[in-house]
Amino acid sequence: MAAHSRDPLTHPEVRQATTGGYAAGYGVSVILMLGALLITQQHVLAYPTFLWLISSLVVLSLFSQAALFFGLGLSPVQAWKSVSLILALPLFVFTIGLSVWMFNSLYPRTMPAMNMNTSQPTLLQ
Amino acid sequence: MAIPTHETSHATPDSVLWQPEVEAHDDLAARTLGFWLYMMSDALLFAGLFAAYGVLDHAYNTAGGPGARQIVHPLDGFWQTLAVMTSVFAFSLATVAMKMRSRPGVILYTSIALVLGLVFIGLEIADFRALIAQGAGPDRSGFLSAFFVLIATHGLHMVFGILWMLVMIVQVARSGFTEHIVARLLNLRLFWQFQASVWVCVYAFVYLRGAF
Amino acid sequence: MPVHLQGPWSPLLGRLSLHAIPYNNSIILFAFALAAVAAVAVIAPVLYFKKIPYLWREWITTVDHKKIGVMYIIVGLVMMFRGFFDGLMIRTQQVLADGPHSPHFLDALHGYIPPYHFDQIYSSHGTIMILFAVTPILTGLTNVIVPLQVGARDMAFPYLNAVSLWLTTVGAALVMVSLFVGDFSAAGWVGLIPLTELPFSPGVGVDYWIWAIQISSIGTTLNAVNMIATIVTMRAPGMTWLRLPIFTWTTLSTNIIGLTAFPVLGVALALLSADRYIGTHFFTAGQGGNLMLYTNLFWIWGHPEVYFLVLPAFGIFSEIIPTFSERPLFGYVTMVAATFAIGGISWLVWLHHFFTMGAGPAVNTFFSVATMFVGVPTGVKVFNWVFTIYRGRLRFDTPMLWCVGGLFLLLIGGLTGMMLAMPAIDYTVHNSVFVVAHFHCMVLLVAYAIFGAVTFWFPKVFGLQLDERSGKLFFWTFSIGTILVFVAMFGLGFMGETRRLDYLYDPQWLPLLIIQEIGIGFYSLSVLIFCWMLYVTLRHRHAHVEADPWGTSRTLEWLTHTPVPFYNFAVTPQVNARDELDWRRRGGMDRKLPDGYAPVHMPSNTMVPALIGLFAFGFGFGMIWRIWWMAGFSIVAVIVLVIARSFQKTPGYILSTDEITAMERRVEGSSIVAEQPSRPPLVEAEVH
Ligand code: HEM
Ligand SMILES: [Cu+2]
Repeated sequence: MAAHSRDPLTHPEVRQATTGGYAAGYGVSVILMLGALLITQQHVLAYPTFLWLISSLVVLSLFSQAALFFGLGLSPVQAWKSVSLILALPLFVFTIGLSVWMFNSLYPRTMPAMNMNTSQPTLLQ
Repeated sequence: MAIPTHETSHATPDSVLWQPEVEAHDDLAARTLGFWLYMMSDALLFAGLFAAYGVLDHAYNTAGGPGARQIVHPLDGFWQTLAVMTSVFAFSLATVAMKMRSRPGVILYTSIALVLGLVFIGLEIADFRALIAQGAGPDRSGFLSAFFVLIATHGLHMVFGILWMLVMIVQVARSGFTEHIVARLLNLRLFWQFQASVWVCVYAFVYLRGAF
Repeated sequence: MPVHLQGPWSPLLGRLSLHAIPYNNSIILFAFALAAVAAVAVIAPVLYFKKIPYLWREWITTVDHKKIGVMYIIVGLVMMFRGFFDGLMIRTQQVLADGPHSPHFLDALHGYIPPYHFDQIYSSHGTIMILFAVTPILTGLTNVIVPLQVGARDMAFPYLNAVSLWLTTVGAALVMVSLFVGDFSAAGWVGLIPLTELPFSPGVGVDYWIWAIQISSIGTTLNAVNMIATIVTMRAPGMTWLRLPIFTWTTLSTNIIGLTAFPVLGVALALLSADRYIGTHFFTAGQGGNLMLYTNLFWIWGHPEVYFLVLPAFGIFSEIIPTFSERPLFGYVTMVAATFAIGGISWLVWLHHFFTMGAGPAVNTFFSVATMFVGVPTGVKVFNWVFTIYRGRLRFDTPMLWCVGGLFLLLIGGLTGMMLAMPAIDYTVHNSVFVVAHFHCMVLLVAYAIFGAVTFWFPKVFGLQLDERSGKLFFWTFSIGTILVFVAMFGLGFMGETRRLDYLYDPQWLPLLIIQEIGIGFYSLSVLIFCWMLYVTLRHRHAHVEADPWGTSRTLEWLTHTPVPFYNFAVTPQVNARDELDWRRRGGMDRKLPDGYAPVHMPSNTMVPALIGLFAFGFGFGMIWRIWWMAGFSIVAVIVLVIARSFQKTPGYILSTDEITAMERRVEGSSIVAEQPSRPPLVEAEVH
């Protein structure tokens, strides 16, 4: 609230910006996605392997963004952001994972059989 | 500040009871933390949408219409990825320029980021129009509803980011780096980088997985 | 691609026409008369005593967390009264409509309310009680208390705080308007699907329900941001994490839930709106929709939401019980751990609301076991309270009565919850009134905590104590009502009465229904006593109260003056112990004042939040009636306001040392209900 006469540009969160870090984050993200694209275009992997690989690339890319873009870490200005992210991460997994799981367990019990060969694999298959 | 390290069982006449000097809350840090918390909330919004997409991305839900494989184009999606990533990179550089106290630098990089954001939106709109023209609009099937709404929600975030950039360009040009403006630029950086993170998930799980 | 609608629509008024006003329904006319009388009773004195400028300056444009909290609580209490009235109507209908030979009045076949209207009543009852009564009251309490407990002058974002308040108020206002213009959803507070889809609910009722919740939950989310940031960044020096009062801890946990769960509700409602407005097929029965997906998303929010409600109640118990047992809280650290364990587990159990969906045994088992795990930390808490009471020097002032009553409810509600957590049992009692009785024990426990908290902190905020005699009478009549209604309801659940019945087919239920009706009679009596209590209190408003009127309070909020000055603490306190006030009292230092004062910087009032609220109402109303120009104009207006505000310089103003010294001597002058002289804003405080 207070109207300080501090110079805001000396704040650590302003100081944290670096061209090198951002360039690295940019490079890594683009390369990982390019890799994921190439893997997809090859069409050689089995579905589970493919899904694992893609997911790992996503996780890597998100990690690099957390570190290099957001600059998360344990420094006093960033610590609470890191903590809140870590607290939120399981919730993403619960929300999406448990939802997909419960409907996958529901369908075989409640839906008419469908010729699954012609259909797309679902997330868990 | 003299903070006693251990608790005595009660106060004594020379305990420190008041701190007249403290008025030093770090406003900037509170504002970015607040904004970050809002983004956690926003991330759960996307989690909800991804959960809906995960459930509706099933042969049962296409209602005889196209499934993911028939409508996604991973390569086109990659151009969007490139656009959004480059835009985020550009805006991040704008905050490096802020650190260097360069108003023109901030305005230049923000404008680049803004244009790339528009490119992204343009690609997305073109994609949507093509699909709707094929009769594969959001009202075609449960699956397509989830597809459109997930992607459009991300797109709507991008539109708000673009609007925000416009405002910031004006404010930086007018008043330079006041505390409020610096806080807004920092928050916008968080917001914009977050759009890249969301897009990575959309690209991998909708476009790439869909094309399998 | 707006969907095709049944019925007329015009560009100017959307679906709105004179037919939307149910002037021929005698019950609604009565409600309207009641509301009109209440409105006149409020507005007339305001006009007569020329208080509009006062209201505008001191309340509507305020950014003070205490006033905002008080307004939240007032909105919540008004809505609670409305919700109570709905409950009264539901009970009366059921007792009248039992068995084929039951009497009929007005235009109903059984009882006095026709089915469609009855459905709206229980839908609004649940929606109001959970989202527009209890939630705002708890938000209000945390708003008032938490900044004081952590020794701060205000919330981290005072302006955002006002925005949250007005958004919540808009939601409540939309629910109230639905009573007189159009109708309300008839699909239950959970939005039973596919009944909420356009073909089955073609009117505006479901739209009212959607937008009221959607707008107010944006407010709740913003408030959660604000609360967490306040607790993390605004604590007074020396207030380490392990000195944080438990109420503040539970507020933190609750708001983490609020921050993360409400967006999922937003998604559920937004997807439903997409179905209703642009014809998507998320939850439709055909075209590849999946209606259980709605239920899933709703309860992903819904279960954490019940803990969002109950955790602050636990926090309130943890403040009141030590105060009236004159002992420190037993097991502080386990209490904190249990608070967070409950918050975490509450995210893993939502499927227990639809065990009967038919997911596989593995899924049901997982959620069943997770649900039962909640009992562990809850048990830890109960034992901690009991051990606090054990060998304490007990006093049964009204707040303590509410707490002890609440503990009994927690026991019954928790044990019946454990029963429901077993799928095998749940399959037989799901959707029976047994479930209704279970969760009423739980939400009533929250209500008990709220009444306890209001009595407990009332003197702090207003500088006068609620009348104890009528307060106790209120407690006892309310509790007799609770016992009569809900013991009977458990019985009816076992006898097979299902939920939401406008007509009950089994005449054998009548005795228990009559007992319930007597119970609601006691509730009605308690409402009158509540009003009487307020009246008596105001009549004796000149009695003087101490900074700590209970004499044995323990935490920081009781350290500053009573009533609290608008700047909270003239000098920021140094925190030396977990129960700081108790610590100071034992050393005889609790009345030691600071040696001198320094100028204080305060935020200025602003009318922007109230304007945002106004346009949010316009947006909601426009969307509900599909008046597109109105919705579009309002949303643009909100965006423009936000941008315009960001161009404003908002430097606040300074309270000088002299002013503070004067006000510290004459506390009433600085109380939050007193009118403050206008102060010039700072000029050019933004130096760079
Ligand atoms: C010991 C902890 C608890 C357990 C094990 C538990 C268990 C359950 C279960 C299994 C149901 C679903 C019953 C059915 O629909 O068939 C249920 C319903 C419900 N519970 Fe609880 N519960 C607990 C605590 C709470 C609390 C603390 C609250 C609120 C403050 C609460 C509020 C509700 C509500 C509102 C419903 C019903 C919602 C509806 O269908 O309208 N419960 N509970
Ligand atoms: Cu539950």
